[in-house]
Amino acid sequence: MADVILRSLSKKFGNSTIIDNLDLSVRDGEFVTLLGPSGCGKTTLLRMIAGLESIDSGELLIGGKRYNAIPAQKRRIAMVFQSYALFPHMTVRRNILFGLQLNGVSQLKMQQKLKWVTGFLHLKGLEDRLPREISGGQRQRVALARALVLDPDVLLLDEPLSNLDAALRETAIEELKRIHRHVGKTIIYVTHNQVEAMSMSERIALINNGRTVQYDSPTALYDSPSNIFTAEFIGSPQINFFDGVIQAEEDGLGVMTDIGLLKLDKERNSRLKDLAGKKVKAGIRPQSVYFSKHSDSRRHTDTVIELTVELVENLGDKYLVIGRNITGAVVRFLIVRDEEVIPERKMKVFVDGRKVHLFDPTTSLNIFN
Amino acid sequence: MISATPKRIPMTSGKKVIWTTGIILAVLIVTVPVYLLVKYSISDIKSINTGGKPIPWWPFEPTMQAFLYLFRDHHFYQVLLNSVIVAFSTVVLSLILGVPAAYILGRYKIPGRKLLLLGIISVRLFPDIASVIPVVEFFIHIGAHQTYWGVILAHTLLALPYVIFIGIGAFESIPADLEQQAWVMGAGTGQTFFRILLPLATPGLAAAAIYTFLLSWDEFIFAYFLMLGNQEIFTLTLYLNGIKYAEPQNLLAAISVCLSVPVIIFSLMVQRYMIAGISTGSVK
Repeated sequence: MADVILRSLSKKFGNSTIIDNLDLSVRDGEFVTLLGPSGCGKTTLLRMIAGLESIDSGELLIGGKRYNAIPAQKRRIAMVFQSYALFPHMTVRRNILFGLQLNGVSQLKMQQKLKWVTGFLHLKGLEDRLPREISGGQRQRVALARALVLDPDVLLLDEPLSNLDAALRETAIEELKRIHRHVGKTIIYVTHNQVEAMSMSERIALINNGRTVQYDSPTALYDSPSNIFTAEFIGSPQINFFDGVIQAEEDGLGVMTDIGLLKLDKERNSRLKDLAGKKVKAGIRPQSVYFSKHSDSRRHTDTVIELTVELVENLGDKYLVIGRNITGAVVRFLIVRDEEVIPERKMKVFVDGRKVHLFDPTTSLNIFN
Repeated sequence: MISATPKRIPMTSGKKVIWTTGIILAVLIVTVPVYLLVKYSISDIKSINTGGKPIPWWPFEPTMQAFLYLFRDHHFYQVLLNSVIVAFSTVVLSLILGVPAAYILGRYKIPGRKLLLLGIISVRLFPDIASVIPVVEFFIHIGAHQTYWGVILAHTLLALPYVIFIGIGAFESIPADLEQQAWVMGAGTGQTFFRILLPLATPGLAAAAIYTFLLSWDEFIFAYFLMLGNQEIFTLTLYLNGIKYAEPQNLLAAISVCLSVPVIIFSLMVQRYMIAGISTGSVK
């Protein structure tokens, strides 16, 4: 077991910078996800840790030891590829034992490990099948089993669930969490799927353009995005943004936007005074806009918006409503399905001011950080 | 997911008729000459020299006479053995030389790759009859004429471009993930090659082996010029050439039948390595 530390790591392919002075530290036994849009460099980063891509500059430390120039074969790392990369000409058993055979592990030990891992990952009875004879979910578990028997210091997972259908993916997420709790390995997981990232990781490194945008717990990423990119990327449905100006007049302290004056929570509102006149971008999650028939349930920080309903999307348990107010500003929000929402009708909703995020439009950073 | 069996698309009946006719024609084109060859080899003289009457579809009195004559000729055994030795050695040598070349050319970016490929195929850009003279002259210089290894080398020269090109295709089609997965699991270059890449390239290489065997087995021009002097008793094609004016013609047909049997045996032997869709289930 080991911690992983990346110090100002850089990587270029030709003229384009893929990884740009990236710092990251993963604690021993931690489950960290590298999350980001496709092409952000997260897979390259993982492959650099695995030793499949060279490091142009910076340092890679695993368990305190510098690994920059150590070839992939000599790193105590296991990796599960997005494609699973099962050896098609080998049975499940030989696939799982391949790495152990290379390391000269005794027959007895190999059989013990095989028994343990096939039991652990529900692969009993499939040992003599070829990869083409088992299902996608089973292949994914074989790939995991093959990595786990090697007892690696660090387990690298490159979008291992992206080829599974939704139901299997949910089971696999539970399985991975169970594995992590059970074996306590350092796991670095790459995905572009925020649901996977949010549900499994202890910490998420949100990556964009080869840099870490924010590195924090899933809750922190959701509740206090440090910049516009995080706010946009994390959370579903996507956050609403409104241009606004901070206003510190006697009749109201808050942010004036197209959907009205947004009043923040007391603590942040008091800090707004010094920023009067500043242009900001206000981010409001669809979950922070609510509907209530009783106007007395509204808090003093809530802002009322009057909207004309344009579209209603059924999300199963909820409706996603897309509405437009008198100035033309579009607001997307969620509403429980019991409510009647009819397109073209007008309705009043409340914005929870405590959950409004304010960003500087030029630096794109959260103005309160 | 890749499904093992391709989806069959139902055909309209009009299309069915056209296709069935086409398939029957294709089968006939391939099998009729084989039938004629076998028929000739077991024909008696009267069924060949009919004195103006049409040649029968089946010999009047089938006979194994031609085969018996062959099997009594001790030259024939030597020639058969020579052909087998030359063909097998050519296959082995071509694979030993061609597979590593195909591996490197198929999986690594090396400078001047295209030029190399062009150079490799260049020997086959000319008709054999044109390239045979300089090659034989060179072989005489190095004392390789009238030897087994001279012919083997010449046949390897002819087969190698095909082995390399088929091999490149076989190695290229193996997903890079498999190779890298082996590395991450601790396999060195050699282990990765022998335990992962080579087994997966086997179907392609088996095809190349069959092709090489056929090429060497049927090759005439190079063997003829290299063996000038005592070519009649060297390989089967030369033996056949030596008796091409002999009567009766059923002997020629019998030799031709003997010529094709080992090819069929070799193809059947190697065919079990030609598994379709060997990498199914590896990725995805």
